[in-house]
Amino acid sequence: MATVLVVDDEFGIVDVLETILTDEGYRVLTACNGKQGLVRLAEQKPDVVLLDCMMPILGGDGMLHAMAAVPGYQRIPVIMMSSLGEDVIAERCKGYAAFLHKPFRVAAVLSTVARVLGRVANDAA
Amino acid sequence: MAAGPIGAAGQAPLERVPTGIPGLDTVLRGGLLKAGIYIVRGEPGAGKTILGNQFCFNHAAAGHHAVYVTLMAETHDRMMQHMQTMSFFEPARIPDGLYYVSGFRVLEEDGITGFIDLLWREIRTHNATLLVLDGLIVTAESSGSDRDFRKFIHELQAHMAIEGCTALLLTDGRHDDYHPEYTMVDGLIELYDVLFGTQAERELEVRKLRGTAALRGRHSFRITDEGIVVYPRIEALLARPSADDQWPDERCATGVNQLDAMLNGGIPRATTTLVLGASGSGKTSLGLHFLSQSSAQDPGLFFGFYETPLRLRVKAAGIGIKLDGLIEQGHLEILWHPPTEDILDALGNRLLEAVRRGRVKRLVIDGLLGFQEIAADRPHRIGRFLTALANEFRGLSVTTFYTAETRNLIGGVIEGPTIGLSTIAENLILLRYVEIRSQLRRLISVVKMRDSDFDSSLREFRIMSTGIELAHTFDSAEAILSGFPQLKTEELPADKAARRPRVK
Repeated sequence: MATVLVVDDEFGIVDVLETILTDEGYRVLTACNGKQGLVRLAEQKPDVVLLDCMMPILGGDGMLHAMAAVPGYQRIPVIMMSSLGEDVIAERCKGYAAFLHKPFRVAAVLSTVARVLGRVANDAA
Repeated sequence: MAAGPIGAAGQAPLERVPTGIPGLDTVLRGGLLKAGIYIVRGEPGAGKTILGNQFCFNHAAAGHHAVYVTLMAETHDRMMQHMQTMSFFEPARIPDGLYYVSGFRVLEEDGITGFIDLLWREIRTHNATLLVLDGLIVTAESSGSDRDFRKFIHELQAHMAIEGCTALLLTDGRHDDYHPEYTMVDGLIELYDVLFGTQAERELEVRKLRGTAALRGRHSFRITDEGIVVYPRIEALLARPSADDQWPDERCATGVNQLDAMLNGGIPRATTTLVLGASGSGKTSLGLHFLSQSSAQDPGLFFGFYETPLRLRVKAAGIGIKLDGLIEQGHLEILWHPPTEDILDALGNRLLEAVRRGRVKRLVIDGLLGFQEIAADRPHRIGRFLTALANEFRGLSVTTFYTAETRNLIGGVIEGPTIGLSTIAENLILLRYVEIRSQLRRLISVVKMRDSDFDSSLREFRIMSTGIELAHTFDSAEAILSGFPQLKTEELPADKAARRPRVK
């Protein structure tokens, strides 16, 4: 069972993602900002991170930057989520695996997570 | 950010933060005070979130930074979808100029103390000089007591003062509720959605504004494709005219030579003239004559309710007045506003803006009834509204012609507009029909011209393909004012057939 870490300050979005990912058989961890996300990472290493861009205390770009500095986190794929365009995110965030534009559909979330995890599995093989 | 007026005691000017929302900064006399805390209250759908976002985007567009914090509001992506339809929404401002965060989880997990810490950190992290908190009511509900909530407001004030950040706190709530925090903040702005009969109108009221004499009372606003547009109430905006009355002691040609002769050289400049007459009596035609004298020195504006610009140009051409050249040269502008669902102050502000923009000196407002129809649910306003406009136009040296329709086509009783004419118009010109041997004739008379001599005799006039022509004194008619004159046989005009009025 793969573990997904959802990092988003909007509780409604976290709740929805937690529900649909759990129903799909994933184990889900949640955090409401980048700082809390780094704490979760240290506690339990997830297989993939769904990361919002604009959050209080530490935003998605800050968390991604912090992850890049830790060798153990570098291989964890990150899916950036934002209501901004991917061009804006790409300017600020480097090294993410995929992008989900908000508002997203359930199918898009599930297929993106599966695709990124599949890619990781293939890479490992 | 703009500096406000110097205080009465000569203190340093209060620095202001313009909202950039059309009309609102006029109501606020320049904007909100820097580092002040303001509450915006309104029921769901009143426009609070749009107002908050519009302020943020305008602030970011001016090179500053803003943070928008939501609590139990709609999700950020949903909010942005709604804002995308409005012209102020510029995605490129996000996230560097404008940063959205949700504070609900922090409020839930860490309480008020954690939440205020979050606000402070976000302001510092993003170097924000504007904070919008969308959902103050949630903060109030999360406070253990009224005392805790007031403590939150107090701490927020301290943080805002230190950081030099202005805060806008958006909240729901009934307008008659009393909230102790209102006594603590620097200002309270209320948004209303009011029904007048079947017509809904949005209104805004600045209930409290420290350090500023805001335009008091309610002001209409609209949510448009450009976002919120506030229309300051004309009576409040023009309570005092923006310029002193000049009384230039000059005359303004009406475009009808014989009428100018009756007026002792023309209409006194910077006065208001009411042209009163029945439907089709020639009021608009007289107004078109007046505007035919527009020039670079004397720009004209036609502000009408009933005839479209195309029909007006055709009508003018029919009486020998060519408007197209004047319009092309920029000497004349025609604005048409059908008197349907419009806002009285939107019209007033549009008119005022057009007069100021075009430096208009000749103004024809065709159809006083248009204003009255739009203000039908608030008839008490119309007199003060028109008086305020008339005073402002006098100060701007604008010579104004209002046309107004009498109810009866023919008859002994003249029923004019049900407003105090003396406060609006110094001059009154009356156009009337009289029936003479099964023919309708038109009469013109100058009834009033304040502080000036004039020829008060009645004249017959005709509207020809070459324009308005005044005939000799209509002294052949008896009891003419009754509307039922009897011609003396010996004084019948010899060229009666030739002088038959042109049917419009």
